[in-house]
Amino acid sequence: MALRKIQQKEIKSIVPGPVAGIVSLFVPGLGQVLAGSFQRGFLLLGSLGGSAGLFIWRVHLLAHREINLMAKFLKAFDRRPFFVGLIIACILLLWLWNAWDACRQTKPEKKSGPAIFIIIVVIFFSLGWQISEINPYKMFKELPDAIPPLSRVLWPWEAAVEREKEIIGAGAEILVGCGEGELPPIPEEVPGQPYIMSDPRCGDLSSLDENNQIIRGTTLKLTGRGFAPNTKTQIWWIDSLGNEFRPRQEGQYVEFMTDVKGSFEFDLIMPYRLIPPSAKGPQYQRVEAKQISSIGKLIVGDPLRLTLARMAETIFMGMMASFFGIIFAIPVSFLASRNLMSHSWITMLIYYITRTILNIIRAIEPLIWALIAVVWVGLGPFAGIIALTFHSVAALGKLYSEAIESIDPGPIEAIQATGATRLQTIMYAVVPQMIPPFVSFSIYRWDINVRMSTIIGLVGGGGIGFLLVQYIRLLDYRAAGIAVWFIAITVAILDYVSAEIRQRFV
Amino acid sequence: MLEIKHLVKIYEDGTQALNDINFKVDAGEFLVIIGLSGSGKSTLLRCINRLIEPTEGKIIWDGVDITSLDQNRLRQTRRQIGMIFQHFNLVKRSNVLTNVLSGRLGYVNPMKTLFYQFPSKDRQMAIDALKRVGILDQAYKRADELSGGQQQRVGVARALMQQPRMILADEPVASLDPVLAHNILGYLEKMNQEEGITVLCSLHYLDLVQRYASRVIGLRDGKIVYRGSKEDIVAMTDDQFREIYGEEAIRVSAGFQDKGKG
Ligand SMILES: Nc1ncnc2c1ncn2[C@@H]1O[C@H](COP(=O)(O)OP(=O)(O)O)[C@@H](O)[C@H]1O
Ligand SMILES: [Mg+2]
Repeated sequence: MALRKIQQKEIKSIVPGPVAGIVSLFVPGLGQVLAGSFQRGFLLLGSLGGSAGLFIWRVHLLAHREINLMAKFLKAFDRRPFFVGLIIACILLLWLWNAWDACRQTKPEKKSGPAIFIIIVVIFFSLGWQISEINPYKMFKELPDAIPPLSRVLWPWEAAVEREKEIIGAGAEILVGCGEGELPPIPEEVPGQPYIMSDPRCGDLSSLDENNQIIRGTTLKLTGRGFAPNTKTQIWWIDSLGNEFRPRQEGQYVEFMTDVKGSFEFDLIMPYRLIPPSAKGPQYQRVEAKQISSIGKLIVGDPLRLTLARMAETIFMGMMASFFGIIFAIPVSFLASRNLMSHSWITMLIYYITRTILNIIRAIEPLIWALIAVVWVGLGPFAGIIALTFHSVAALGKLYSEAIESIDPGPIEAIQATGATRLQTIMYAVVPQMIPPFVSFSIYRWDINVRMSTIIGLVGGGGIGFLLVQYIRLLDYRAAGIAVWFIAITVAILDYVSAEIRQRFV
Repeated sequence: MLEIKHLVKIYEDGTQALNDINFKVDAGEFLVIIGLSGSGKSTLLRCINRLIEPTEGKIIWDGVDITSLDQNRLRQTRRQIGMIFQHFNLVKRSNVLTNVLSGRLGYVNPMKTLFYQFPSKDRQMAIDALKRVGILDQAYKRADELSGGQQQRVGVARALMQQPRMILADEPVASLDPVLAHNILGYLEKMNQEEGITVLCSLHYLDLVQRYASRVIGLRDGKIVYRGSKEDIVAMTDDQFREIYGEEAIRVSAGFQDKGKG
């Protein structure tokens, strides 16, 4: 309707057709403007100018090493013939059409062709495709590599439970530097227990010479008995301060299999370890052989346990933020309701200020509020709650105030007419009208807040998101998968529950 | 019983809705106010119980000027004056019984009613009122689940609960079809004739006016332009009616008119 009216309000062309056409060849859209079609002219100038500008930018990126423009175009065409060719053709077409259209606009019966919009859409679509680096080919090509981690995310439950680890091991003392003190005793062998013995029981640690070349330490002949047969066995070294570490030999952690009887023999080069200068007296260190086997009872794995804990944290974050949001939003919404604030200019001023502040707060995403809150109160769920509360107050304040503005004055009038007091009028005419939108908006907000709190951890705001990014960064896709699953489950349940509650109330 | 003297209402935007209105209503009258849309009927009715504050003039009710009452005395006066609205003005989400009970709000202890508690004799009274308008079986439905005619009957029951001495009805049947119009006005007529409740009612249709009014005043642009007795009205032709009422004036319909009269 409105559009048609504008077109009917004919503005006479001030130039003849051919002139308008030629003018538009030089400045796109100008011919149309001269012919009285202002909107059309500016639209054409905008789309032609915009698309040409964006196109030149892309061509520059494709061929940034070339200096002169022509060479750039040729290079770009060489690299992306379809894209460059299509855009050039479309822009040329649009340009010529623009000249012809200017000529046409000078005639009284002004026509608008929808076809040209297709050309404009094609130009911007191709530019958009190029600028946002859309690449479906890559999606297919990299799919095989992505399947293992993705499948771990999709079905992560192997990491949900694990077996308790059982460690069996035995150790022997070694004196560093033979003759520095008394030899440590030969460990006593207890039947049925693993046992390890070293020969000799003293020796020199590996060390570095001036050229940082390693000087091998003494080779210890380790003999073990009473271990689990055919089982991977690790060697650990414990220095005199009690620090444990796994020595390497030829770049590998020292590790071997026991034989069928559960015995082994192994030659261990004493590892590189600095003796602290403050150390006094003979230095006794220790070598240990350990077998770690997962044969204990099934227990909840760390990822599942942490996920459950974080999920609880997440839900409560969302709940607390909604709670605070509702409490603060109620008074704010009164200040932001036009019908309550319209009786004087002071209240109107408060109304406008409140509205403006709410709009600004709402325009900033909760994730950004979370970044700010993290600076304020540090990492953790409290920062997330602050961020979500801010956003909730703004969003709910607006929704509540709109609900207040849209209450039906009829019942208020009717209740007043019965001789009711002001308070009775509020209880009987206002509150029943306010409850459904308040409940509905509050539940909706709780729903949003829990959803938001699942990702607010990405920026350090606590909750499950925090765990999820950590797992992803550690490439622990199974654990990440568990977190993702729980987010999905929670959100689905929440969706259902909030829909149910809202249906009951509204 | 009610005397309006030099009543003037000028809205904040400068609209003069009422301009020096003077009339008197005796107890037991069925006074009908006619006038084009925008002529000030609603404003006039709402000035009487001060839902709208009059700009100037006096409203004498039992020798006391309503415009000079404080909030407390105003409420005591309001509870004697029932009001029925074109759009029913029920609290849509409350049930029918609560809507009817709210007619007692001017009488009961304000603190108790805050928790939606009413004395049992008021509840009995509400049930009787619903019985009287024939919708007792709907008592526990939400008000907005009822049809238009049923909702207006709830409106009538709510007014009845006030045990009013006067009823103000602002186009009570304008949103109803003709059969229902007679039904609702029938209740008002019955209250008027059997209990002597004074009725001030604005109406749209000439045949309804002829059928129910005991006296008529006509408004145009906030002024009284016509005063007529029952006889004047019955004798009135459509053309005369149209003169006051403008082109909108129509009869409900010939078919229902006879039924209404009979
Ligand atoms: N709240 C208001 N503010 C300003 N003008 C109003 C208001 N209510 C009604 N009016 C004006 O007062 C005049 C009378 O209105 P009203 O009493 O509603 O007439 P009626 O009920 O006869 O249709 C109309 O011109 C209307 O526009
Ligand atoms: Mg009206």
